[in-house]
Amino acid sequence: MLSGAAPVSDQSVSASNTNALAQHDRKGRWVTGIGGGACLLLLVILPLVAGGYWTFTLGLCFANAIVIIAVSFLLRYGGEVTIGHGVFAAAGAYTVAMIEKYFGLSLLASLPVALVVGAVLGLVFAFPSRNLSGIYLAVATMALALALPELLLHFSAATGGYEGLYVKLDALPGVPKSLQRYYLPLLGLILVVALLAHFRRSRQAMALLLIRTSAHAAESFGVRRSWARLSCMALSGAIAAFGGALLSFSSSTVSPNSFTLWTSIFLLVGSVVSLYSLSMVGSIIGGLFLTLMPLLLAGAGDWVPILYGGALLAVVLGVNALPPKLRARLQGVRA
Amino acid sequence: MADFIALAWAGIVSGCLYAMGAVGIVLINKSSKVVNFAHGNLAGLAAFLVFGFTAGTFGQMTWAAAVILTLAIMVAVMAVCYLLIAPLVFQSDLTSTIATLGIGLVVQGITQLLFGSNVVSLDLPLPNWRATLGPIRVASYDLAVLGVTAISIGLLYLLIERTRIGIAFRAVSANPFASRVCGLNLRGVHLFSWVVAGLLGLVASLLIVPTTFLSSTSVSSFMLQAFAAAVVGGFNSLPGAVLGGIFIGILMNLLSFYIAAEFTNTYLLITILLVLNIFPQGVLAIRGGSRV
Repeated sequence: MLSGAAPVSDQSVSASNTNALAQHDRKGRWVTGIGGGACLLLLVILPLVAGGYWTFTLGLCFANAIVIIAVSFLLRYGGEVTIGHGVFAAAGAYTVAMIEKYFGLSLLASLPVALVVGAVLGLVFAFPSRNLSGIYLAVATMALALALPELLLHFSAATGGYEGLYVKLDALPGVPKSLQRYYLPLLGLILVVALLAHFRRSRQAMALLLIRTSAHAAESFGVRRSWARLSCMALSGAIAAFGGALLSFSSSTVSPNSFTLWTSIFLLVGSVVSLYSLSMVGSIIGGLFLTLMPLLLAGAGDWVPILYGGALLAVVLGVNALPPKLRARLQGVRA
Repeated sequence: MADFIALAWAGIVSGCLYAMGAVGIVLINKSSKVVNFAHGNLAGLAAFLVFGFTAGTFGQMTWAAAVILTLAIMVAVMAVCYLLIAPLVFQSDLTSTIATLGIGLVVQGITQLLFGSNVVSLDLPLPNWRATLGPIRVASYDLAVLGVTAISIGLLYLLIERTRIGIAFRAVSANPFASRVCGLNLRGVHLFSWVVAGLLGLVASLLIVPTTFLSSTSVSSFMLQAFAAAVVGGFNSLPGAVLGGIFIGILMNLLSFYIAAEFTNTYLLITILLVLNIFPQGVLAIRGGSRV
């Protein structure tokens, strides 16, 4: 709803019909503006009404939503599947925890570092497969996700091994901890969504979408595919690390257990359930799905993968079965 | 040196199994351009089905009966899996690849639901025989793996080179559009590759079980080895997948012996990244012939 003001970021939309979109935007801007404002207000005053449990869970949900946005960003702008984004989130989370451990600095100091770490990791990682089809990137991200626990456990002196590390320092002194854990991820999510909406209008985003629409046309304009791959991965890695950093702050702990291959696959499921949305509403739906499902199904452990997999298949097949017009509208409005 | 030869021999044996997994992944990718991330989970389910039929969860059959029954079930399972993602295959490779992850999750959940998450042991009905040839110790298991792999790959070769469906498969993987114009049934070819991949997965998972225990995740943890083998072979070439499997088998054995055993997945990650840089199209590259 907040995103009504943001242009549609469906990859099939080319530069030629932005005029029509702008008109559509102007019409809906008032309605969506008021609706979005009301929802945002609701989220802001929620901790004053709801109990500590819900405040905590929603804080995690917002942080998860940011990581989900990172996955969706890569899917939308890069057209690449990733099943290793847990690793980038882990990079951000461990950056925060280790900066606290070694330098005694709080989240606000380590967030920028986490962003840089995520971006560099994304670049380093995408470089070998920059010229190849997305299959290789997907396989390499899977290897990355599987390799991460091994590395974390081996360097246990720094990473805390199985038990992981704690994130205890307050980011904002004087504010109750539970509120910090709620408002900082919410603020982060709003920031990421707003920046991405702005990014959508930039030349970079146009170039990336042009490559997705037609690689040949893009290359004749001097936009290289390898450049697109690298910049998508760097941005996506940075967003994921940012989300991971906030996740570690909200949950106040990081451990290898929270960043397995399953985490990464579930992130992709969350992204699919939100229809690869880069908006507030979509990503929060994905985040809620990811955060609440395990809680609701706590008693039925073996059913969790079935329900996640079933939800993924249902969304993918369901969207595919819709008439093309409705499908475009659904993805467009939500985007 | 004796160590090295013994390790290489053991590597070849386990490499054969990775090769069979990789061939399944490459078969599906060649025909339908989908990367099947559910491959390991499906193979794991197959191994558990054999366990269930022989060890009493579902019945007390003989091995032959259990394997044949499981083969039949796997044909049905793979067909259902393909039909599930069939509406997506011609729409988007990306979406169908994501959908295979959903299938993998469901299959994993079903395995855990049916058989629990306990570790069980499944012994192959092999004679207890071993011999020593210089530095190499040969057990009946090793010979069984080599023999079964040779037979499976040989049958697959004959199937692809000599039968109508094999020719159709090659045509579809070379040019789907042209084969459709010529009246080939793409769905049939896709279904063929999924079923054959599932059967190879069953064989590979049964043979892999004696080296590890059987638990709901043990077989799918070998999926990365199979994917690495497919990457080494170029993801698009069946002989490449076989070579890649054996290469990965030997390499992993050497690395875990000479460096450290707990980094298997890290070695695989580094191998994948290095191979992508040095042989971007795989070691058996047909320049200009592969999809980028």
